[in-house]
Amino acid sequence: MNHRFIVTPNLCTGCRTCELACSFTHAVDNVRGQTRIFPLDGGSKDLWIPVVCLQCDDAACVKSCLVDALRRNPGTGAIELNQEVCVKCMACVAACPFGCSLLDQQHNIVVKCDLCGGDPACAHFCPTKALQWLPIAPARARAAS
Amino acid sequence: MRLENIRQLKDLQKKYQAAEKRFQKKVLVCCGPGCLASGAQKISDQFKKVLKEKRIQGFSVEALKETGCHGFCEQGPLVIIEPEGTFYTKVKTKDVEEIIEKSVRHDETVTRLLYSPNGNGKKIKRYADIDFYRHQTRIALARLGKINQCDIKDYVADGGYQSLAKAITKMSGDEIIDEITKSGLRGRGGAGFSAGRKWATCKKIQSDIRYVICNGDEGDPGAFMDRAIMEGDPHAVLEGLAIAAYAVGSSRGYIYVREEYPLAVVNLQKAIEQAEQLGLLGDNILGSDFSFKISISRGAGAFVCGESSALMKSVAGEVGEPRAKYIRSVVKGLHDQPTVLNNVETLATVPVILDKGADWFCKTGTKKNTGTKAFSLVGKIRNTGLIEVAMGTTLRQIIYDIGGGIIDDRPFKAVQTGGPSGGCLPDSQLDLSVDFDSLTEAGSMMGSGGMIVMDDKTCMVDVAKYFLGFLVDESCGKCVPCREGLYQLHALTVKVSEGRATEADLEKMEKLSEMVIIGSLCGLGKSGPNPLLSTLRYFRDEYLAHIRDKRCPAGVCRELITYEINEKCTGCMACIAVCATHAITGKKGEIHILDQDKCTKCGACYAVCRYDAIDVS
Amino acid sequence: MVRLTINGRVVQASEGEMLLSVIRRENIDVPAMCHHEAVEPFGACRLCVVEITRQEWDGWCDYVTSCLYPVADGLIVNTHAPKVNELRKTILDLFLARHPKCTEIIELAGEYGVTRTRYETVVDGDNCILCGLCARICDRMGFHAISTVGRGHGKEIAPPLRQAPPDCTGCLSCAMNCPTNFIEYKVKKGLLTIWDKKFELLTCNKCGKETITREFAVHLSEQRNIPPNYFDTCDACHRNELAAAMGRIAAWDREVQL
Ligand SMILES: Cc1cc2nc3c(=O)[nH]c(=O)nc-3n(C[C@H](O)[C@H](O)[C@H](O)COP(=O)(O)O)c2cc1C
Ligand code: SF4
Ligand code: SF4
Ligand code: SF4
Ligand code: FES
Repeated sequence: MNHRFIVTPNLCTGCRTCELACSFTHAVDNVRGQTRIFPLDGGSKDLWIPVVCLQCDDAACVKSCLVDALRRNPGTGAIELNQEVCVKCMACVAACPFGCSLLDQQHNIVVKCDLCGGDPACAHFCPTKALQWLPIAPARARAAS
Repeated sequence: MRLENIRQLKDLQKKYQAAEKRFQKKVLVCCGPGCLASGAQKISDQFKKVLKEKRIQGFSVEALKETGCHGFCEQGPLVIIEPEGTFYTKVKTKDVEEIIEKSVRHDETVTRLLYSPNGNGKKIKRYADIDFYRHQTRIALARLGKINQCDIKDYVADGGYQSLAKAITKMSGDEIIDEITKSGLRGRGGAGFSAGRKWATCKKIQSDIRYVICNGDEGDPGAFMDRAIMEGDPHAVLEGLAIAAYAVGSSRGYIYVREEYPLAVVNLQKAIEQAEQLGLLGDNILGSDFSFKISISRGAGAFVCGESSALMKSVAGEVGEPRAKYIRSVVKGLHDQPTVLNNVETLATVPVILDKGADWFCKTGTKKNTGTKAFSLVGKIRNTGLIEVAMGTTLRQIIYDIGGGIIDDRPFKAVQTGGPSGGCLPDSQLDLSVDFDSLTEAGSMMGSGGMIVMDDKTCMVDVAKYFLGFLVDESCGKCVPCREGLYQLHALTVKVSEGRATEADLEKMEKLSEMVIIGSLCGLGKSGPNPLLSTLRYFRDEYLAHIRDKRCPAGVCRELITYEINEKCTGCMACIAVCATHAITGKKGEIHILDQDKCTKCGACYAVCRYDAIDVS
Repeated sequence: MVRLTINGRVVQASEGEMLLSVIRRENIDVPAMCHHEAVEPFGACRLCVVEITRQEWDGWCDYVTSCLYPVADGLIVNTHAPKVNELRKTILDLFLARHPKCTEIIELAGEYGVTRTRYETVVDGDNCILCGLCARICDRMGFHAISTVGRGHGKEIAPPLRQAPPDCTGCLSCAMNCPTNFIEYKVKKGLLTIWDKKFELLTCNKCGKETITREFAVHLSEQRNIPPNYFDTCDACHRNELAAAMGRIAAWDREVQL
């Protein structure tokens, strides 16, 4: 994976644009889907943390899936959930230590962040650049500066 | 002793033949399924007992053979004295001494026990002169009834395992396949697929492991040809399977035996052990680098397990349910490896073909249907039993010349071939040649060889109902057209038999049958409607009689018959005593009265009346 | 890559793919009730039947179930040929006779214009269409808790000996994937009951929400090497925990900047 989410919490205003973007991008039969990203209360005044799947290397969701419905897309690096294969056992939902495998209650399916095929809508639409999808190298450079 | 080469096998054969020649006489006691049921084991034991007491010059217990089914089960228990071929029927233990005294010690006959056709007093001494045998041609069943059930000595003396030896030492796999293909041998298990072509396909597939399996599931009601072969001549099956294995390059074989055939399992097991001891099965057969092991796999007790993909699942220890065969089992069969599956009779024919040659085999039968086919002839026919005829023999020859016609000379109505997948053929088809293609064209099937003869007292709606009912229970229940479709077809035949159906129902049956045929997953569903369709085709009038006139012409369908008491009634009160619903009333000596409303049509009154006073209509 | 024609359109597919997945990719509506991508194709419901032919077959055609028919070059497929529609209607009609109260069947049959069955209604017909998905999925999960028993018209789905299945972990995969929602289960007072077996449901140590059964969680920890404590907290509370942790760092960041 040569891109990473870069979160700069102090820029996040809690506007929830990312949530909307995600939900619309993952609509099912033209009905808004469950958002995979959650701007959550960071514990201090006006502090918001966009929580989203970290696409762990040794991911608990992948390990927990007994039918191999979760696989990493080598192109984007995202762990993708194959809806056709998923048997809705909720193992991954229970196993993810960050709560990023979710039940879409409205459509009765299990969902998780798929990085929108390589261009995450949440980051794309974030008005303050609190959430960015950046190549790893510049991120390192930025950290060093 | 292990045989290391073909020479040693030839020597062994000579030795065993010489041993046989010591005896001036042989006594063959048929111990096939039919004769065992009528007490053959006791007869054989009695022979042994009496022979122990009496010493007879040129005879010993070794010359007493407990053979496989001789065929004429109707007349069992059978005892045959060779070399004369004297044929004793319905032998009882008390006859044994007399037979020994007259026919073994001397050259006389016990006339009383000879067979007499039609019971007209004329006795026939030799079985070869009896019509039942005269019109048969035996290839697969040739050894049955001649040698000890499973004694490798007898088998080897009779030329057994010479074909296998010839195959291993003198022929390549391809040469064998060519010979079998040239012989035109078609699978005897029902579908009639060319055995040679099946083997060739299997051989062509790239694979390290290949399997050969013998199908001994024989699920058709009333059929027992394969059973007779497995019990009575098990070595022929082993030899055929070993030749198939050598030809396609397999080293592992299975024989799948129907659950209800414990004796076949015992005999096959014994035969395998005998053959392994002689080095005719197992590692490095006859000193060559061909190794082949055979195991017996017990059936799961379901008709559908005879179907190839279900059978292979069952052999692998899974539930015997068919799978779709868009990839055939010759390509991907047992454990997903290329697998040849052949029927018992098919395999038992293979050694004979290699021995006598494809050209010899082709002389029997017709051009596209070479050789012979075994049938179990049952039903309303005089001579029931196991027969083998040349392909192309007509139904008439089988039923009248071999079978001796219908019991009590009643009119012939239909013959059912092919079991639950087959159909019923009427008298207009009696001159039909019995072969794979003609039977299929006429709307029936060769099947594995059941042949049920029916007279005018058989109701064809009832027959269709019976077979559909059988299949409703025996379907594996996996796919919908078969599970639900056959159920509804059965329900419709019940409706006809109870007089509740309309003519539109017949059309509904035909439509639904077509859908079951194209929609079902395996051969069971795809051929399941055949008994119904063939009776609708040839006996539509009978269906219409049930529908329009609410009448069962054969007097079988319970709901449509009435029992009536006629003036022959003597007032004996027998019927009153048996009628469970008290539908019959009357005083002693007066004509009784039957209340139709109470009558449940059980037929008990009809059965007990000695004065022919109950009419059925 | 192979090229085949579906309803007059030339489409591409990869070797080894089954016809049904290509048909679905083309957005053609073909019913299929016994199929699930998590398990091998089975071919029981026969609803996914299609007509196939080839140029060289000279007009002869065959009817095959698309869920397990492998694609092949030059295949000509018709997903709604007259015989195909007739067979689907017949199957739905047979279903309707067997499962008269099943809403999923009533709805699908309605789409094919079958509103009343032509056949004899099976009096005690339940809603199980014997697609076998529950048992096959259970096998795929590695539990083998239930299977089909019997054969013919009396076949049914049941645990061994019809008793609470020892191998069931209460993962509910059978019930979740039953096309007719036939498999019943109950959740009451922290207990899940399915196949007559009772399971304790884990509850979130933060909010008390019920998650999966203890047996399923234990199975996952042991077999799949997932730290057991992962199952102590529900997904929403896990997210809150993460936000709080990141929030602490951000707040610290803020202080530094000030
Ligand atoms: C429902 C069903 C039952 C069958 N039962 C038998 C059987 O009992 N014995 C048999 O040899 N073949 C049976 N067959 C045929 C086998 O599938 C297979 O074609 C045969 O064993 C192949 O051997 P063959 O080519 O030597 O005939 C059955 C087929 C079906 C569809
Ligand atoms: S819910 Fe679906 S993706 Fe998650 S573990 Fe179960 S089957 Fe796999
Ligand atoms: S046709 Fe009948 S026996 Fe064959 S798979 Fe279908 S249900 Fe089973
Ligand atoms: S219970 Fe449901 S999933 Fe299981 S076989 Fe029946 S219909 Fe299919
Ligand atoms: S989905 Fe293909 S047969 Fe059921």
